[in-house]
Amino acid sequence: MDIKTVKYDKIGETLYIYEHKSGLKAFLIPKKGYSKKYATFATHYGSINNEFIVPGEDNVTRVPDGIAHFLEHKLFEQKDGSVMDKFSKLGSNPNAYTGFSQTVYLFSCTDKFSENFQLLLDFVQNPYITEESVEKEKGIIGQEIRMYEDDPNWRSFFNLLGAFYKNHPVKIDIAGTIESISKINREILYKCYNTFYHPSNMVICVVGDLEPESVFEQIEKNIKYAEPREEIKRIFPEEIQSLNKDYVEQSLAVSTPLFQMGFKDDTKGLSGPESLKREVAVKILLEMIMGKSSALYNELYSQGLINNTFEFDYTIEENYAFSMFGGESPDPFRVKEIISGKIEEFHKKGLDREDYERIRKAVKGRFLRRFNSVENISHLFISVYFRGVNIFDYLDVYDKMNFEYINEIFSKHFNLNNLALSVVKPA
Amino acid sequence: MSNLLQEETVSKIASFDGIDIYSIKTDKFKTSSVSIFFHTNLDRERVTKNAMIPAVLRRGCRRFPTFQEIALHLEELYGATFDCGVTKMGERHIIQFYIEFVSEMFTEEGSNQFDKAFDLLYEIITQPVLENEVFKDEYVKQEKDNLKRLIESRVNDKMLYAVEKCLEEVCKDEPYGIYDYGFVSDLKDINAKNLYEQYIAMLETYPVQVYIAGSASDKSVERAIEKLKKLRPKTDGTFGDLADKKLFGPSPESFNKSVNKVRNVVERFSVNQGKLSLGFRTNIRPDSKEYYALLVYNGILGGGVHSKLFQNVREKASLAYYAFSRLEKFKGLMVVSSGIEIANKDKALEIILQQIDEIKAGNITDYEFESTIKTIETSVKSLKDNQLQIVTHYLGQAIANTSDTFDDLISKTSRVTKQEVIDVAKKIQLDTIYFLTSKEQA
Repeated sequence: MDIKTVKYDKIGETLYIYEHKSGLKAFLIPKKGYSKKYATFATHYGSINNEFIVPGEDNVTRVPDGIAHFLEHKLFEQKDGSVMDKFSKLGSNPNAYTGFSQTVYLFSCTDKFSENFQLLLDFVQNPYITEESVEKEKGIIGQEIRMYEDDPNWRSFFNLLGAFYKNHPVKIDIAGTIESISKINREILYKCYNTFYHPSNMVICVVGDLEPESVFEQIEKNIKYAEPREEIKRIFPEEIQSLNKDYVEQSLAVSTPLFQMGFKDDTKGLSGPESLKREVAVKILLEMIMGKSSALYNELYSQGLINNTFEFDYTIEENYAFSMFGGESPDPFRVKEIISGKIEEFHKKGLDREDYERIRKAVKGRFLRRFNSVENISHLFISVYFRGVNIFDYLDVYDKMNFEYINEIFSKHFNLNNLALSVVKPA
Repeated sequence: MSNLLQEETVSKIASFDGIDIYSIKTDKFKTSSVSIFFHTNLDRERVTKNAMIPAVLRRGCRRFPTFQEIALHLEELYGATFDCGVTKMGERHIIQFYIEFVSEMFTEEGSNQFDKAFDLLYEIITQPVLENEVFKDEYVKQEKDNLKRLIESRVNDKMLYAVEKCLEEVCKDEPYGIYDYGFVSDLKDINAKNLYEQYIAMLETYPVQVYIAGSASDKSVERAIEKLKKLRPKTDGTFGDLADKKLFGPSPESFNKSVNKVRNVVERFSVNQGKLSLGFRTNIRPDSKEYYALLVYNGILGGGVHSKLFQNVREKASLAYYAFSRLEKFKGLMVVSSGIEIANKDKALEIILQQIDEIKAGNITDYEFESTIKTIETSVKSLKDNQLQIVTHYLGQAIANTSDTFDDLISKTSRVTKQEVIDVAKKIQLDTIYFLTSKEQA
């Protein structure tokens, strides 16, 4: 068995890599002294993949919104009952989540890793879906959708995506709607499964106090061989470069208004380490402009316009990217005004190099802290993997980051024409 | 890196002036941390001010007089994290301060990370920005506004709100019914002077626990202890309202409340989904032998995917996406909560109550029982992988007046029998049925 070892001595971590003959890649990051072992099995398939051409077919397949998430729920069902029960007997915690561009199955355990791992490998590779169980799941997912309808943070997030995007499916709720999931049936679920759960479209990541040989051997034996096949053609509608809208609002049962605002980014063609570089640069910029040590944050805070709930982030995927920042505020419009004013000022006067140096150091320190937790490592690993990079590539990006590039990205990303605002008002 | 350090156990390394200092030595994390807890009893008179104190202290200290300067300093410390706030554990109100920072072995110049971080935390707590010998008025005014908004924003997270509100309704005439962050109506009487007075009382009289976790050197720990010896120079040696029963577990009067009649509470919001919560009195103390059987009881009822609630409310009846039960260890309470279609309230309530009766009647399958024990074992072992959870575990032990290590907790839980669970089930009383519903529902 061919195992590749990469050591990252500066942070005391090692990455083991193995590739199965079916094209599936597997990674192990050992964590000595940790009780918890965390394994994820993920496919490059999420809520945005609602239009595609199945390899070997000519016609475009259009599927109901929310189907990737629905399939995630249904995979837990096996011929002999729910696989959850088998995990429970071992005392471990199975779980799964669906994102915009990936579906992730996982468990965490402290004992009997290989038995748990076997369950994970088996159930993800062996769907057993009946019409009856599909109908039953509609009630459960219906309540999940209802829960999110009442969640003001979730709503302001998706409303902002709706302001950014006119056509891109990233604006559609991951779970779909009660109406869209009513159209889901067994046949479409299998079609999606067979298209996107091919080993070459998947990845396994294991983190914990484990030996690479035994983990990879288990993968070698238990991943079914699949013939190599053509790429799946993923179809996305043409998206406009500018904003769809610059303002959206909704009323919900909240006491203070909540807002999210951000810049729609244009990153076409950016992938691999380049996309990581862009991500780190925008995050450093957000920290410099509106982080807790910034003049802007402190001005907004002392005027009572923001509070501790204020946060920011940047997302970049294969064909969409945006920054987002928000929290609670009695006057989101005033916040937007002040932030816009400050950004204009930076465009005129330039950024501060000292701020940049200090924040780069801080951001790197915080990145290091993520290696404290096996689940954090796994989540981060999977979230960047399908962008063609692994988490350790961040180290190189931090080390090579420079002020000139930061300035370049500042003028590209923080363009006030691309700034949209989403507000959730008290009902 | 050495593998010499043993399991994540705590040792008390110093005790003086009502201050207990604990060390949790481990080198498996990239970071180290210091947590400082001030304890007091939860009461209406002090709760809102206690909530205000950390909010004002975090705004600045003598060396770093603004929030911005503190933030700048934290960035210099390789992005150290500082946080503070209040929480309740049973009827104990806890003011907490915490700093976490990258361990020295990962910093470029091997700087005195620990000393610098500890000093910052210590100074934020003990050297506030003063104006006319009391807190700075501007900070107090602004933080009053922030606290008001924080209290009012509770309703934004309906899932959490429905759980907390239900338990507060159960204890509406007892200290536990008080929200950790206090009352909006009590804010108007708070000013820089009376807040400062309570702060001095906190500093001088509330019992304190300090937890140092990670890979700090002995020299640095020694230095920290020396500093803490100066924390309360003016103390009269009484150490606050807990002095006489200094951390002897929850008081007897906070337990043994019997239920005469089940109360129904309905609260209306503009919502799509209803949240049904049931509040129970378990009548079981955290320092009793029965507590371990209660842990198992809770696991069988609603502690995971194997539980009766998950299996019956979600998997069989498809009524909900989530349905769980949770214990409030220090006050002997339990809450069951589920998000459901509003029209399905009666049906969901019936199924939930059925599950409770099933356990009472002894209908516990081997699968439910064994999965529960193993699930608890996994979750306890997992705590050891998180520095803050290790600290919280030992803080909880101190408050319960128990001294279980992680292994003790696992072995005591594994010895629980089905009969003990059934005995516990018989003691548990439903107290309040809380329903968060839409404005339209009849």
